[in-house]
Amino acid sequence: MNYDLNKTQTILKDEAHRFLAKECPSDFVREMAEDETGYSKELWQKMAELDWMGVLIPEQYDGIGGNFLDLTVLLSEMGYSCLPGPFFSCVVLGGLTILEAGSDSQKTDVLPALSRGEQILSLAWVEQDGTYVPGGIKLAAILNGEEYILNGTKLFVPYAHVADTFICVARTGQTLEDKNAGLTLFLVNAKQQGIHIETLITMAGDRQCEVIFEDVHVSKDNILGQLDQGWPVLKKVLQMSAVAKCAEMIGGAQRTMDMAIPYVKGREQFGRPVGAFQAIQHHCANMLTYADTIKFMTYQAAWRISEGLPFEKEASMCKAWGSESYRKLVALAHQVIGGMGFMEEYDLQLYFKQAKAAEQMLGDADFHRELVAKEIGL
Amino acid sequence: MDFEFSPEEQKMLQEVRAFLKSEITPELKAESLAIGYCYGGQLGREFVRKFAANGWLVPNWPNEYGGLGASAMLTFAIKEELAYIMPLIFVAAHMAGPTILHFGSEEMKKQWLLPIARGEVEFALGYTEPWAGSDLSALTIEAVDQGDHFILNGQKTFNTHSHVADYHWLATITDPDAKRYQNMSMMIVDLKSPGITIRPLITMAGWQTNEVFYDDVVVPKENLVGEMNQGFYYLMAALDYERMFPMGGYRRLFDEIVQYAKETVVDGQPLSKDPLIRQKLAQLAIELEANNLIFYRLAHIIDEGKIPNYETSMQKLFATELAQRITNTGMDVLGLYGQLKKGSKWAALSGQVEHRYRWSVVETIYAGTSEIQRNIMALRGLKLPSK
Repeated sequence: MNYDLNKTQTILKDEAHRFLAKECPSDFVREMAEDETGYSKELWQKMAELDWMGVLIPEQYDGIGGNFLDLTVLLSEMGYSCLPGPFFSCVVLGGLTILEAGSDSQKTDVLPALSRGEQILSLAWVEQDGTYVPGGIKLAAILNGEEYILNGTKLFVPYAHVADTFICVARTGQTLEDKNAGLTLFLVNAKQQGIHIETLITMAGDRQCEVIFEDVHVSKDNILGQLDQGWPVLKKVLQMSAVAKCAEMIGGAQRTMDMAIPYVKGREQFGRPVGAFQAIQHHCANMLTYADTIKFMTYQAAWRISEGLPFEKEASMCKAWGSESYRKLVALAHQVIGGMGFMEEYDLQLYFKQAKAAEQMLGDADFHRELVAKEIGL
Repeated sequence: MDFEFSPEEQKMLQEVRAFLKSEITPELKAESLAIGYCYGGQLGREFVRKFAANGWLVPNWPNEYGGLGASAMLTFAIKEELAYIMPLIFVAAHMAGPTILHFGSEEMKKQWLLPIARGEVEFALGYTEPWAGSDLSALTIEAVDQGDHFILNGQKTFNTHSHVADYHWLATITDPDAKRYQNMSMMIVDLKSPGITIRPLITMAGWQTNEVFYDDVVVPKENLVGEMNQGFYYLMAALDYERMFPMGGYRRLFDEIVQYAKETVVDGQPLSKDPLIRQKLAQLAIELEANNLIFYRLAHIIDEGKIPNYETSMQKLFATELAQRITNTGMDVLGLYGQLKKGSKWAALSGQVEHRYRWSVVETIYAGTSEIQRNIMALRGLKLPSK
């Protein structure tokens, strides 16, 4: 066993940390929460020049051919800075789905542009049920000659308003025998006629949209993977993306520690630093345990993905643990920082919101505990 | 990064597993249980010698002292394997021995390490006193220097194992006028020495710990460990290495609770289909995994040539609190049957759950309470001010 990042990963982490400290200070995060698009094209291009969009994309499609651990390192720094924008929806949700299910020609069409930062993807998955289970997909794709016609409404589609291409999860079949069959993934031009996008207003300031598909015509060639066999792909993408979400939590947890610990050392009450009181010390010790365990649970799952080993159990364990632990860590930070931490001008609020949003996305703790229960044979 | 054991490590762990499976008998388990999972009984001593003959008691010690020169990683993994089958606590090999290895004189190493590595002698910890629990610097037992020997007078308490062990690993005051932390020495005391009286204290988990009284007990000077008056530092350093807590015993109990939930039908369906039970058991599986990661992190730190710091406290704290959640959840899953003791008609899982439920209470107390662990994490790990 080895708990250390390798040299390349350490360099990537340090570089990403320095870059984002300069380019993504908390003022920028607040500004983007108010901005119409919710991200900066200029910063997006700079990130593309650093090859961040291509971190998982093989060299043959103009990426840098990194592995999932490299992505984890990068996302952790993005979480540290609360980076706003479509990186997660484009590179993780979109990129992973294409890598999993795309044909060579689909990959050639999409991935090089994604890698250059010229193509923004998003995954249009969840609907009104608000769940990540196959039964929640009602959006219908009906075959009409060489085309499918899509009708239905997607919700919580991240950064749909700036996407060039959607991967839309649609129902193409219905069988009573196999609940998991009958879903198909389609590549859809986001600017196409019949698509209506409305941005939802979220707690954390990230952009999630309602996307209505109204008689949207999509060629059969745009099917990603096999007809009716979309669920196994989605399930794998869900598990990998859940780990990626936890990678952001690693950074967010670290940033929260970096706010709280210096604060309790400096803040004096009753003639001494509040950090000298055991009540505060014990909260801080618990925060440290959350931070360390989120990190190792995530690295372990990410390592298994990188190595091509089975990872479903570890991924669900990590999302269930991370979701609750990160929220509890931030709650303790609020408690030890006191009133100032509740102020909009203090950065802790950004991480409070990030924590809850990350917890809810891609399956919360209850959802993943149920998957763990299945994995341990219950 | 790498989160699996190497093929060589896996091979050795297979061998350990096979050995334990064939050597650990119900009789041995019963004897061990009766003396608080310490070895020292007849069967226990026989087993430990066989186990130790493979170098498995102290794999990470150098070959010349009876070890295999193996990694801390493998050493931790072997402890975990043993704990899964039969949780045994080794004071001489895992607590006193490393201190001798780090701080003892050459003569002391030659005299003690090989017999310890072979499992031939066992120690009992002699730290706590009636007025020195969490605050070990408040000891009052005193060893007066008489030239070639010390004369000891005073009292220890909660010294588990001292009625079956051979020697006492004793923290004593050797300079009552010196400042705190600079007045304490460690020494090895033969528990058969005249003047030692042992009074049993029976725990609510059914096993025996003891009060130990010292009246003019003679201890040869060569039994002093390292330097005079440096004992407090040895003790603290040893705790960094040795406070880690193998969870094998509770992992096994958890596996048995899972099995019980799958096999027990209530109101027409197995307990394992109840969503609440599924959530609770899955949560424990997750926490066991988190513990596993911070357990082997300690080995990783040691193998990198560093001394674990706050990380040891974190794992001890996490593991022992998790142990209580496992036993409590086990009691919930078993319901009314949970309360039935081993030997009772209708007892489930041989009464193990209620036994471990009682047992696990002490684990967040001994070897440094949860509160002491959090203090250490805050002060040493996060460098928070002490005043």
